[in-house]
Amino acid sequence: METIWLYQFRLIVIGDSTVGKSCLIRRFTEGRFAQVSDPTVGVDFFSRLVEIEPGKRIKLQIWDTAGQERFRSITRAYYRNSVGGLLLFDITNRRSFQNVHNWLEEAQSHVQPHSIVFLLVGHKCDLEAQRQVTQQEAEKLAGAYGMRYVETSARDAINVEKAFVDLTRDIFELVRSGDIKIQDGWEGVKSGFVPNTVHSSEEVTKGGRQCFC
Amino acid sequence: PDLHHHHIHEPSKTPCSGPTLLKLDQDNHSLTSQDSGIPTLEINPPEPIVHGHQRPGDGGLILASNHDSPATLPLDDDPSDSSTIRKSSTFPRSGYDSIRLFSPVLSDDISVCSVSSMSTELSVSNEDILDFTVTSDSSAIVTLETDDSCASHFSDVTLSSTPGNPRDLWMCEQLNLFTLHSNFSPPLSIFSLRSLFARRVKDNRSVEQRDPGWKLFGKVPPREGPVKDPKRIQKEYETKSGRAGPGNPTSPRQSVRKNLDFEPLSTTALILEDRPANLPAKPAEEAQKHRQQYEEMVAQAKKRELKDAQKKKKQLEDRCKLEDSIGSAAQTWNQEILPNWSTMCTSRRVRDLWWQGIPPSVRGKVWSLAVGNDLNITHELYSICLARAKEKWKTTPAPSSETETEDAGSSDRESSLELIKLDISRTFPQLCIFQQGGPYHDVLHSILGAYTCYRPDVGYVQGMSFIAAVLILNLDTADAFIAFANLLNKPCQMAFFRVDHSLMLTYFAAFEVFFEENLPKLFAHFKKNNLTPDIYLIDWIFTLYSKSLPLDLACRVWDVFCRDGEEFLFRTALGLLRLYQDVLTCMDFIHMAQFLTRLPDLIPAEQLFQHIAAVHMTSRNRKWGQVQPAKGSNSARGMNL
Repeated sequence: METIWLYQFRLIVIGDSTVGKSCLIRRFTEGRFAQVSDPTVGVDFFSRLVEIEPGKRIKLQIWDTAGQERFRSITRAYYRNSVGGLLLFDITNRRSFQNVHNWLEEAQSHVQPHSIVFLLVGHKCDLEAQRQVTQQEAEKLAGAYGMRYVETSARDAINVEKAFVDLTRDIFELVRSGDIKIQDGWEGVKSGFVPNTVHSSEEVTKGGRQCFC
Repeated sequence: PDLHHHHIHEPSKTPCSGPTLLKLDQDNHSLTSQDSGIPTLEINPPEPIVHGHQRPGDGGLILASNHDSPATLPLDDDPSDSSTIRKSSTFPRSGYDSIRLFSPVLSDDISVCSVSSMSTELSVSNEDILDFTVTSDSSAIVTLETDDSCASHFSDVTLSSTPGNPRDLWMCEQLNLFTLHSNFSPPLSIFSLRSLFARRVKDNRSVEQRDPGWKLFGKVPPREGPVKDPKRIQKEYETKSGRAGPGNPTSPRQSVRKNLDFEPLSTTALILEDRPANLPAKPAEEAQKHRQQYEEMVAQAKKRELKDAQKKKKQLEDRCKLEDSIGSAAQTWNQEILPNWSTMCTSRRVRDLWWQGIPPSVRGKVWSLAVGNDLNITHELYSICLARAKEKWKTTPAPSSETETEDAGSSDRESSLELIKLDISRTFPQLCIFQQGGPYHDVLHSILGAYTCYRPDVGYVQGMSFIAAVLILNLDTADAFIAFANLLNKPCQMAFFRVDHSLMLTYFAAFEVFFEENLPKLFAHFKKNNLTPDIYLIDWIFTLYSKSLPLDLACRVWDVFCRDGEEFLFRTALGLLRLYQDVLTCMDFIHMAQFLTRLPDLIPAEQLFQHIAAVHMTSRNRKWGQVQPAKGSNSARGMNL
């Protein structure tokens, strides 16, 4: 039986090529670090349930995008239907940090009329020795755009959970406060199966096989 | 004379995983047994290496009685452990699973187990030198050879049973057979490569010094009493049971080799030995009952083996047939079609043959011819482009961010040089041939680098590395480059690799026309879930399916793509949707998206091609080229830029 979830949030993960977007997501959704992975062409999909409060589960639908500049004309189409975003840079690659504002501008101009709650992620923080971006300057940049900042490592499983859960909580608060509204024709937030609003028990318990058609 | 020196060396070891083949071979006269599931495995006193306890989690095979069937081989106990031999096959090419245990317990022979499956080899010799050839991580053939001279040491066999495992003892008493001890599974613990390695190195003691960890009915003193030849035992049993032995029991090894087919082998595994003197005699009726039980088991095992053998033969025949057909197809392509390419390539017969898949040996040639060389690229031009690329790599300083230009476009192109390097090792990572140090790393680097110099306006785009890699696997470097550049120059590929979004949208729109026409129900389901074709088509088209389909299947798609052009890429997409229509209709957005971006590992090739064939590429009397007017219209592309 499908686990009951309150909302489904669509998150998009962006950032330069090879900053480790797919690895971060796979660590979060599969619990392991993939030593080898294909470059993402187009977009890949992941999902996971997150419990933000006891009994309150959010289903995350995560869109993993291709990082290469060339693909931006494709990926920009996916901003509109996302409610949250993880913007990654690689702390050992200064250029990926410098591109952060490009990514944000790109996103802002294509998300209208909606908006995306972004989290800035400094990835590969296990490679401290090769660090090219200090935590202070990253925090400063994040602050300037009103984002949280977190440093993660998919390899050592540092803050991976925190990154996704914090972002999910922030979005949840905005949904609860009404700042983000569920709208028809917008995929960013969908309300899910809520136990006490289910009209008949069959709706929830029906079938071991999920059929959404 | 019993000092054994054991050396280990590993001549070659590649990290690629592959099919499993573990095989321990022997000299002769050994008894063989197939894993018939009956509780009578005869395991002989093994070689010096393997005595002692099998540590839990050692990865070795434990021939223990397991709950349901005592003393069967739990061959797939721990599939995750790469050193464990999970399944085995007597006949390497058939991929058929079985296990043979050669167990010369009471003879001069040395025990050998053979567990084999496919391909790679690993050999262990039980003489003074141990040769290990591990070609595969997860799998290996172990060939174990022993010298007759040291065989005699093993004739004392102890069969003991741990207290915790009374069932073994019960079994062996009951049947008067040797059964396997749960802690000592010597010949099989050889399979535990780790323990083998570990032990081999230090184990130089002579056999006598060693405590007899493996004895037959514990109290029988070593080398006392006549040692029976297994042949004799076999014969005795056959005489006793009034049954003529099958074929050629004197040479089980030969029979294994030659009569894979048909010789039920299990009886040879069952050694009926007189009840040890130190045990009280069995009542006659009990003995009779046991004998009867035993016979039933043997009969069953024989039946099963016969069936298995027939299956194996069938598989072998199929395989041979397939190879024959590939061979004859290759001949046809080489001798008839290729020499007369221009006249024959459009003929009905060639097109049919083409659809069935081009034999790998001529695949590259056919692709080259079919893709053509409209760009008139010569080998010299490739060399020039490559030289320029090398020049650029040299002069491009390591990524120093400060000098970056503001112009995103040009920085993208600059960084594509770096990106190539990063992507090469991410290209078919499981093949282990394009990674740094791999045989094709430099070739792939060269082709991609040369292309960025040949078409600086296009540069390197992710996905290209997969196309180049597939070409490299089938063509020489310069020819691969020529095919690569010409392939990317096709209108559809150009539209995608330039990421000309509006032009891509016209392709998606055309695709949807045929999608709705062919699979209206699924189309409606996709629409309802807002699953747009870009979500799955981008990856498929960019990499020409080489990332999403198993490589051999992708090559077959390429075959027909070379014949039919871009239309076939979209037809293949519809074939895939058609093949998985039923599963997809029951999924929600995220499951469909995940399914389509990560197709199953095993896709039935013939079925897929049947579904592709069933896709009609006409919609209201319009063909692909008419629905997709962007095809070949360079002016349209110019407008979009």
